[in-house]
Amino acid sequence: METPEKNPTEKNPANGRAADDGVHSIGQRLDRVSGSAQEAWGQTRDAFSDLSDAIDIKARVRRQPYGTLAAALGIGYVLGGGIFTPLTSRIVRLALRIGVRAAFVPLLKDQVAGLAEALADGDGDGAGRAAGKGHKASKRT
Amino acid sequence: MEITDQIEATARELGERVRPQLEDAKRRLMSANDKVIDYIKENPGTCLVGAVALGFIVGKIARRA
Repeated sequence: METPEKNPTEKNPANGRAADDGVHSIGQRLDRVSGSAQEAWGQTRDAFSDLSDAIDIKARVRRQPYGTLAAALGIGYVLGGGIFTPLTSRIVRLALRIGVRAAFVPLLKDQVAGLAEALADGDGDGAGRAAGKGHKASKRT
Repeated sequence: MEITDQIEATARELGERVRPQLEDAKRRLMSANDKVIDYIKENPGTCLVGAVALGFIVGKIARRA
């Protein structure tokens, strides 16, 4: 009456084939994971280098250092969620006021200069007319 | 006429007195500006990341306020 019970050491052999297979599969999985991670990292690096080549950040910074920094600051401000805030509306209002003034001041200056010229011409004509009248009056007398 | 001459003289004197200080301030500002531009050109990544971070913080503060 022998039971077909196997030796526990045979069931889970310490240095058996099954255990060896398990180690092997885990190693393969690790290799696969590390390979895919390296691939993903390489793709990300390539994408970043392509992006930086397309934008050409270094040349842009060299050409316009302050402008590029201001753009980066603006991007950060928008990312921080500051676009629909009272501060933004205040800044926009101030910029509009400055822009309108900058646009209107030269126009007003031209208008005032034209008006002054017209007044000066009018005075000259008036003086001429007065002189003419005086001339006529002196002729009459 | 005398008052005008006096005002003109005072203005000229003030200008002559202030001019060296203005020139000095201008020179210092130009030097600081050159230094900042050189630093930005040497470290563009750091400056850009810093600017984005600063903008982000300002945006967060503006959102909370």
